[in-house]
Amino acid sequence: MFSSKGKIIATGGIIGILSALLVKFGNPVNMGVCVACFFRDIAGSLGLHRAAVVQYIRPEISGFILGAFLIAKVKGEFKPRGGSSPMIRFVLGFFLMIGALVFLGCPLRMILRLANGDLNAITGILGYTAGIWVGIQFLKKGFTLGKSTINANATGYTMPVFAVIILLLLIAAPTFIIFSESGPGSMAAPIVLALGAGLVIGAILQRTRLCTAGGFRDVILIKDFHYMYGLIGIFAFALIGNVIFNFEAINIGFVGQPIAHNNHLWNFLGMTLTGITAVLLGGCPLRQTILAGEGDGDAAITILGLITGAAFAHNFGLAASPAGVTTNGKIAVIIGIVIAIAIGYSVVTAVKRKTDKINKEGEVEVGI
Amino acid sequence: MNNFYCVMTFHSTYHALNFEKVLKDLNYEVRLMPVPRQVSSSCGTAAEFPCEKKEEILKICLSNQIEMDNTYKIESQSKSNWFVKLINGKKE
Repeated sequence: MFSSKGKIIATGGIIGILSALLVKFGNPVNMGVCVACFFRDIAGSLGLHRAAVVQYIRPEISGFILGAFLIAKVKGEFKPRGGSSPMIRFVLGFFLMIGALVFLGCPLRMILRLANGDLNAITGILGYTAGIWVGIQFLKKGFTLGKSTINANATGYTMPVFAVIILLLLIAAPTFIIFSESGPGSMAAPIVLALGAGLVIGAILQRTRLCTAGGFRDVILIKDFHYMYGLIGIFAFALIGNVIFNFEAINIGFVGQPIAHNNHLWNFLGMTLTGITAVLLGGCPLRQTILAGEGDGDAAITILGLITGAAFAHNFGLAASPAGVTTNGKIAVIIGIVIAIAIGYSVVTAVKRKTDKINKEGEVEVGI
Repeated sequence: MNNFYCVMTFHSTYHALNFEKVLKDLNYEVRLMPVPRQVSSSCGTAAEFPCEKKEEILKICLSNQIEMDNTYKIESQSKSNWFVKLINGKKE
């Protein structure tokens, strides 16, 4: 078991170091890798929202998808599949993004923020843990999005092709693609470096399956620390990386943190929403991106939900900013939590009804 | 000592939890764990169980409506061909 522990910590370590390096070479501070922010930037760049400071096609995202795609292909694990509650996944993805953009970061950025001294991330982690606990209560009652089935290759290739197309749009830079001239969207590591880091992270995550939601979930649900060690690896090595490469940017405290606010209640509740939705989806945005790369059409739908959520978050003024959380954003988080819980109940009720029916009819369904 | 162990995978976390509860009540040594990498690239929950008791455990699953997916025998060390499917179930 030791070797597997070492491997997962090393995986986290590579992500942590690469994140610090991406900041060193131009990404916004604490945003070496942020899956929610990056999809949000892509949504902006494609013109789906018009927040002028967060529009850029992040090549890291293409890297995650293609890195996972290529290694899955090589290892024979590329499996086009889908059909597991796509509509629910879309809605959960949508609200996962709303929660993340009120906190200002996906769970991965939460860890990276902490590794740079942003103590608001602790509030976020508490909220995320609370959300995951809520999600687990539904898992315990039978929540499942259902088994996916084998699909046509077209399903599996959708996201890898999307990854190539946005990469080409980034390089060709036609006039209909929007690039921020100021703000976080204007800050980016060189394309080759960002893409390379993305490919490496995509490949190692496909191999190790590290996931922020899975890390917290397994600790609470089955007292297993395998993925949690990976998350600790991300934190530890991002911290070391920041000390080496970005020492001047380290700032310990709650106030004046880069691309963050210190409204504790909404940092907590934003990540609560993200936690519930991530557990119900079976993975955080990073994990969904990797799964989409290995042919999972349901993860691809989730990503479309994330992108749509990001577009609405900026069009409707839901996303927070360093200035604080908007009223619209607060309302959206509450609505999101209510909807996520309603979805949980709805699925649990449907599963229970099915089980009761089977019991009544005396037939036993075993999936072998 | 043992250089292999057996795991069972499930269609949902609920069934994994139910499996653990039912079998622990019957004093079987079972333990929930993340699905081993050799088995799948998914990251769900699996259960380790004593290989020699497979048949009786499968019967218990059947009579308790525990929807299992598959069982696997995982060899810990050898590098090639390091897991053997025990049951010829549906192939993904």
